Amino acid sequence: MVMHRMKNLTVEDKNQLKLERLQCTLNRAYKNVPFHRNRLLESSMLPENVVSLSDIEKLPFMDRSHLGIHYPYGLFAVPLRDIVRIHTASGTGTNPSISGYTKTDLMIWQKLVARSLEASGVTSMDILQINLPPGLANWGRDYKDGAENMGAGVIPNSPLSLAKTLMVLRDYKTTTLVTTLAFAEQLMEYMFKNERNPNEFNLKRIVLVGEPVDTEQIKNLEEHLHVDVWLNYGLSEIPGPAIAFECLHHCGMHINDDHILPEIIDPVTRDVIPLGQTGELVLTTLSARAFPLIRFRTGDMARFITAPCECGSPLITMQWLPERADTMMIISGIKISREQVKIYLKDALRVNEPRCALEKIRHGGTEILGIALVIDDSLFSDEIKNLEKLINNTSEELEELIGVPVKITLTEQNP
Amino acid sequence: MLRIKNLKCSYGSIMAVQGVSLSVRQGEIISIIGANGSGKSTLLLAICGLLTTWKGEILFQDHNLKGMSPTTIVRQGISMVPEGRQIFSPLSVMDNLKMGAYTIYKKGLKKQVDHDLEMIMNMFPILRERADQLAGTLSGGEQQMLAIGRALMARPRLLVLDEPSMGLAPKIVEMIFAVIQKLRQEGVTILLVEQNARAALKIADRGYVLETGKMVIQGSAQELLVDDDVKRAYLGKDYGNFYDGRD
Repeated sequence: MVMHRMKNLTVEDKNQLKLERLQCTLNRAYKNVPFHRNRLLESSMLPENVVSLSDIEKLPFMDRSHLGIHYPYGLFAVPLRDIVRIHTASGTGTNPSISGYTKTDLMIWQKLVARSLEASGVTSMDILQINLPPGLANWGRDYKDGAENMGAGVIPNSPLSLAKTLMVLRDYKTTTLVTTLAFAEQLMEYMFKNERNPNEFNLKRIVLVGEPVDTEQIKNLEEHLHVDVWLNYGLSEIPGPAIAFECLHHCGMHINDDHILPEIIDPVTRDVIPLGQTGELVLTTLSARAFPLIRFRTGDMARFITAPCECGSPLITMQWLPERADTMMIISGIKISREQVKIYLKDALRVNEPRCALEKIRHGGTEILGIALVIDDSLFSDEIKNLEKLINNTSEELEELIGVPVKITLTEQNP
Repeated sequence: MLRIKNLKCSYGSIMAVQGVSLSVRQGEIISIIGANGSGKSTLLLAICGLLTTWKGEILFQDHNLKGMSPTTIVRQGISMVPEGRQIFSPLSVMDNLKMGAYTIYKKGLKKQVDHDLEMIMNMFPILRERADQLAGTLSGGEQQMLAIGRALMARPRLLVLDEPSMGLAPKIVEMIFAVIQKLRQEGVTILLVEQNARAALKIADRGYVLETGKMVIQGSAQELLVDDDVKRAYLGKDYGNFYDGRD
């Protein structure tokens, strides 16, 4: 229904709507958020100087580091009493990234999540099961709200074993599973290992979130589980999942650009690049009340697709690419900052410069962060117990911080 | 239908509207809310051609209204119900209504005008009863009905209303808002400036919030009704009404 309303708008209507929302966002950010005010003043771009959508190119960028610097509430554009939900993402430095939502924000966000689910064919007749790792628990709530908003039945995100998840999937007649690629593959492997035939299940579709997925991976899931696979794009910080989504034609991902304005820039020169070329995705929120993002550098690489989609959607379409513009890793759909991990190790192990290599590894069917840590004199202890304790404690605390399992191994040589 | 981009209006050195963009699509009821002095009425004056020194762009059905006289703008299909009604007090109710047809009246159109008069009398039966009475002797609510009726005589596609509930009893306000909804059903698009934000948002599709000449919030009426900024500033709640255990 939401999409139908959008389809009725002409290009001029849509651009007018976006300009109106952009100007409101800038006026409020300038008035209420010292960070935005100062940066707009520094760049001599006051909100009233933004008279067209292309003027956005003259505004300064922001990135994940700003969310940490202004921890916890420095980027909120409303009084704290207006905030009805607070989210935490691991961030990139010593501080996590905190974001907030007003009642209006949640109302808008529910509609956008519902819009993305509708595009995947979900209706009020479906039963949606959410299985996301702790680091993406925020998205779990958003999908729950969005699906409930459209009248679908929801089995909310809860930590269950694979066996229990499978039991719920079968017995509760789940038709739609929202999860990460890592979990979907793990589930598929478990089913086959335990001789569970996909025909026992009512599952019709899987909505994958958290990381770009290639066609081979999608084909593998579709063929083994007898489902359609859909990809959603989101940010773990703000505003959430379903910023972009695939429609029935799988022609790319439609960005909810009536609420989030996308740009593609050259990550080095930071210039906006011609339509259709690959670059870093930059997002500006147009309707967020509590936590406006202005030219937020996502680190994700993408390109706009210029060919119109058969579905007739007026939304901008993009292809989400596997490479990154920054050094972050994606594990189980969660973005992990290598710098943050190293800062943490430095403090936890009390060493100046921990020598280590980070990699995504599959461990017992799940994705974990593997850290190969070089053991030198500063770390060495002749008591194995002490060393074990140090490693275990560090892994546990790091796991809590970044939201994915961590396995630290010791090595004597530079990895 | 109406598309405004980067509108700036000044009175001498005071800029009352500072780069406002706004749009009204066919068949919508749009509500503009804002405190006194926020620039709401100035915005309407610019749309209706009563203020000429504005910068930016106002397009009505793809025609630029820049430089058009108020009469031409009425002929284009925009009629205004001004703040404080501004009826012609020494004239009769009937003559006030006929004055509304001033821009469309031509020889041979008497039948059309009579038909419109009949329609308006049916919409506001009290005006039929008071047809020969001097307009200045009507009550506030009746005057408001007359002002709306007079604007409708020009057969507008967009009806612009400036504070239609001002100074009226709650029951009359309810009736006026019911009339606005009925007009929309009959195909008239509505742009409504109103201090009674709750009543206006209840009947509107979308709303805009103006603050010291700048647009700070826009969204569906449903979104605005739950927005705390809007509640605090325009729905009669202030910080004191909000329990805040988070200070």
